[in-house]
Amino acid sequence: MRFGPALLGLALGVLALGPALGPGFTLRYDMVFVPDPPLRLGDGFPRAVPSDQVVALLSAVIPAEIVQKAILLGLFALAASGAAALAGDALPAYGGGAGDRAGTPGAMLVPRLAAAAFYAWNAYLAQRLLIGHWALLLGYAGLPWAVRAAARGGPGRLAAALLPAAVGGFQAMLVSAVAVLPVAALRAGKGRARAALQASAVVVVLSLPWLVPALRSDAVTDPAGVAAFAPRADGPFGTLGSLLTLGGIWNSHAVVPGQGGPGLAAARLALTLVAVAGFVRLGGATRRPVWWRGLVVAACAGVLVACAGAFASGVLRELIGWWAGFGPLRDGQVYVAPFALAQAVGVAVVAAALRRNLPAPVAAAAVAVPVLVLPTFALGAFGRLGTAEYPGEWRRVQAVVNGDPAPGALLSLPWSAYRAFSWNSGRVVLDPATKMFSRPVLWDETLVVGVPGGGRIRVAAESPRIRRIEAVASALTAAGGAPHVGPPASSAADGLRREGVRYVLAAGLDENTFLSRLPGATPVYRGRELLLVRL
Amino acid sequence: MLKVLAALAVGAVLAGVASVAVVNVAAPTAEPPNKPLYNYGDR
Repeated sequence: MRFGPALLGLALGVLALGPALGPGFTLRYDMVFVPDPPLRLGDGFPRAVPSDQVVALLSAVIPAEIVQKAILLGLFALAASGAAALAGDALPAYGGGAGDRAGTPGAMLVPRLAAAAFYAWNAYLAQRLLIGHWALLLGYAGLPWAVRAAARGGPGRLAAALLPAAVGGFQAMLVSAVAVLPVAALRAGKGRARAALQASAVVVVLSLPWLVPALRSDAVTDPAGVAAFAPRADGPFGTLGSLLTLGGIWNSHAVVPGQGGPGLAAARLALTLVAVAGFVRLGGATRRPVWWRGLVVAACAGVLVACAGAFASGVLRELIGWWAGFGPLRDGQVYVAPFALAQAVGVAVVAAALRRNLPAPVAAAAVAVPVLVLPTFALGAFGRLGTAEYPGEWRRVQAVVNGDPAPGALLSLPWSAYRAFSWNSGRVVLDPATKMFSRPVLWDETLVVGVPGGGRIRVAAESPRIRRIEAVASALTAAGGAPHVGPPASSAADGLRREGVRYVLAAGLDENTFLSRLPGATPVYRGRELLLVRL
Repeated sequence: MLKVLAALAVGAVLAGVASVAVVNVAAPTAEPPNKPLYNYGDR
């Protein structure tokens, strides 16, 4: 029974990941795992620090594709067990004293499992998984444990609970901080100020791996990202309704199939209302949990930040224009995570009430409700998640480049961050070259987001170095038959050399045209898909 | 002599058809195997 929630989480993980657990790598949007990833620190904004380094270390002893599957499955188990543990803290307060039948461990199992199922199966987790934000989800999965630790006090306990978020990196830690700091500051009892300071110190120390490089980097944030990454309506109840039901991600390709259908959307909204009612009712209990007030503040703050992108975008643009450090607020939907946790606890409270008033089998059905209101998350969101094996030529190019001790960066072309490879069943994925090589990789950091009506928002690259080579790289990428535009061929090669580029990797480009634009370049690998040249 | 000319003509036609078939059907597609310049996503 003790491991029931974790086992339920594992079962839900198997159901949700489905085909993604087969042989090969799961590659979708920002989820890029590669074979034998090198251990290196990237330049520019540390978006994948230290998550990439941890994966590289683990992959030195375990195949990278196994590491990926373990992380993805672990997310579900960690999230489910944490939500159940937090609900377990709440239920004795709500259910009565030790002599109360509803407070017995056996009677608490169903509500704990209901909380576990809700937290491990909802639109937030599904959408962030479908856009590949596994590092953020490490923070989401560890959030219940972090809230518990912040409420109990002790820097060591909090540091241990925040470890998944620390591995995840900046977004995971920021989302965790939104919950941990209010919980520590508002917990009942004496020494709240000291607890808040301790919690802040732990958060800062665990953030140092990405915080230091971020403060030292000369990255800039384009305010255009506010419009690109603001929450959007993914159902019939508008943006606010989507956020309250834990959806609302900016990317329409990251929703589960059929999520916008009015019937299931209404069911999810009803479940949200029930869950919020349960959480509010918990606040009126005589011995409510010490973390309750802090979680209220965190949930409200998170929803407000998420709403800012949709309803007060001008404020966010001003803030980001003033200081690039506000950049992480542009994709505000991520901060809904504490609200998801509050809802999970609320579901447990309602399930406990059902357990007291209804026959056990009927109450146990509450565990299945989160799955029933979002059924198409199953089986890798019906094929949105799957696996693929890298073609052999990717491994051969990796061996050539990583076996060369000479310094110099690699430029990855075509000049576009995202690809839809046929060997990955056309799923959109970030260029794998960004993770594959032990030397700096220059790639197109410009993010292009399509908007309804056919327009596009271009969010400019963050790194000044990338902005300097943008014109040259774009010209090299022009379609095979297109007339050459941009700098003369010889100056293009010289420009790249001046920027310290040693290799250029071209995927799916016409070889003759490409080589004619880089005179003096030496082809070192020619494959069906990849061409690698040395400058 | 007539048979030789007929055989040359048939051979030329067959060679032409075979060349076209190999170039258009059996040879690898000229279309790049991936689709670059893809949006990060659509709102």
